[in-house]
Amino acid sequence: VLPYLVVSGLTTGSLYALVAMGLVVVYKATTVVNFAHGELFMIGGFLAYTFHVLLKLGYLVSLVLAVAAALALGLVTERLAYRPLMRAPAISVVLAAVGFSFVLKGAARQIWGGLGDYMPFPPVVATPAITMGGLILVPQQLVVLAGALVCMGLFTAFFTSTRTGKMMQATAENAKAARLVGIRVDRVYAFTWGMGAATAAAAAVLMAPLTFVYPDVGSPLLVKAFGAAVLGGFGSLLGAVLGGFSIGLIENLAGGYINTSFTDISAFLVIMLVLIVRPTGFFGPRAVRRI
Amino acid sequence: VRALAGRRNVVALAGLALLVLPPLANPYILYVANIALIYVILAVGLNLLLGYAGQFAFANAALFGIGAYATGLLQVRLGLPFWISFPAAVVITTLIGLVVALPALRLSGLYLALVTLAFAQFTQWLMLNWERVTFGAGGFKVPPLTFGSLQPALGLYYLSLLLCGLLVAGAWNTVRSGIGRALVAVRDSEVAAEALAIDLARYKAIAFSLSALYAGVAGGLYSAILSFVAPEGFDLFQMVVQFSMVVVGGLGSVWGSVLGAGLLVGLQEALRAFKGGQEIAFGLVLMGCIVFLPDGIISLVKRRARGWEEPLRAPDRRT
Repeated sequence: VLPYLVVSGLTTGSLYALVAMGLVVVYKATTVVNFAHGELFMIGGFLAYTFHVLLKLGYLVSLVLAVAAALALGLVTERLAYRPLMRAPAISVVLAAVGFSFVLKGAARQIWGGLGDYMPFPPVVATPAITMGGLILVPQQLVVLAGALVCMGLFTAFFTSTRTGKMMQATAENAKAARLVGIRVDRVYAFTWGMGAATAAAAAVLMAPLTFVYPDVGSPLLVKAFGAAVLGGFGSLLGAVLGGFSIGLIENLAGGYINTSFTDISAFLVIMLVLIVRPTGFFGPRAVRRI
Repeated sequence: VRALAGRRNVVALAGLALLVLPPLANPYILYVANIALIYVILAVGLNLLLGYAGQFAFANAALFGIGAYATGLLQVRLGLPFWISFPAAVVITTLIGLVVALPALRLSGLYLALVTLAFAQFTQWLMLNWERVTFGAGGFKVPPLTFGSLQPALGLYYLSLLLCGLLVAGAWNTVRSGIGRALVAVRDSEVAAEALAIDLARYKAIAFSLSALYAGVAGGLYSAILSFVAPEGFDLFQMVVQFSMVVVGGLGSVWGSVLGAGLLVGLQEALRAFKGGQEIAFGLVLMGCIVFLPDGIISLVKRRARGWEEPLRAPDRRT
């Protein structure tokens, strides 16, 4: 059982890592936690469902379309819930994002179905499980894991090697200095929100064939991404990735060895434990202000 | 007219109306009025944390639920009378809230939001899965309350009115005391507050436990009015309803919260049948109010009538 639990833990973990990356990127650039991130993920899943199942487009085409649509939605989020509030107290931004997340949730409920309506999503590859030296591998999981790793790689490459990515890094480092050297900080902020939403949607499209899509999927997923980010020390991309994998592993092992219902609350327990034992996580900044 | 619409007159008149009219009202109106009183308690308590101390937390809905569950379960499981389980539940709620928030209160505000969001999910999970104690998803019935010769619904209404009055007055006095000034100092600048020898963690904990206490009282009353407790009323949407009430009324205004809660209970009742519609409506109200009317409806009242000034209302601006 152990190898199977590890593989499926790494699979779901890779998706948490992807979602947490989007969260951390927006946080680093704007010092705001996007509380609508989980709902952007959920919308990404429903868009993929619409393109793939209802409109019968190919899986990869649906993936690209859903990610593009989520990017646009991320830009809208920035415009509605962040930009008008740049000079407002931090609490206002968070409240606006929470409000927006419920608008998205309600809209999804109205458009795609009612409470408790779980939408099945067909698997991408229909090959049966392979047994390799006592290790059971479900191809579907491997596809998801590979897809998530590719997305993370693309995302990192975008950050470190493209002009836009470097501008985003510069803005996150020091917005004033970035403005002085001629970077349009406002645009970078907008694009950062878009990128965050795009990663969430990519994760959603990858996850959809493994689970169901439903309107309330956002907030539990947000908590897991938070767990990943906190474990990695909020603000570190590498930390978020490692945190994501750890959360995936922990919840699968807890679910397998203790009780299945423990999968749902592992993230909460991890967050509490990290805060009590080591609030900076794996890679957090040394000087967390203690009060 | 402007002088007559001052706070003292309006509050006295509204209080008198709430005291005298209910025996004449029909049962549905009485029920809605009672729910409104409960939401006033919730909103005023949340505003102490959110509007005055400037701390963002998702715990209030979960604590509201814990108050309701504790009041109900102590009666059903241990056979205690309401008059013992209700105060006990309030104490339990406050303590649980404090234990969960304490590790986060030592760190920056972000962590309080994260921990309490996870806590809210955890509480829902417990209500659903810890069936041996909580009866799971189906919820459970609470024995009905009796008030001697008084009609039960009316008795409960007057109990809510009494507690609501006491708690609103308590909040009003707290925010004008040294504690209130300390909370606002923490909100406006943690560095400056520390320089004034204000213990940040201590005052954040005070604000958090006050809001937990208010949520506990509201939860106990809520379980009594419904005679039924189930998990679904205490999810994150409940949190959005409460956030909207505080924001629509006015962050950092006790009277604003009273107003906001009263207004939005109406909206909630009107949309009761449409879950998706409710979510969209409250989400839009919350966002719209934050962007277009950041000081809430109470700021309009303050501009038009005299005598509604509140101390400590300088809004903080992020730099």
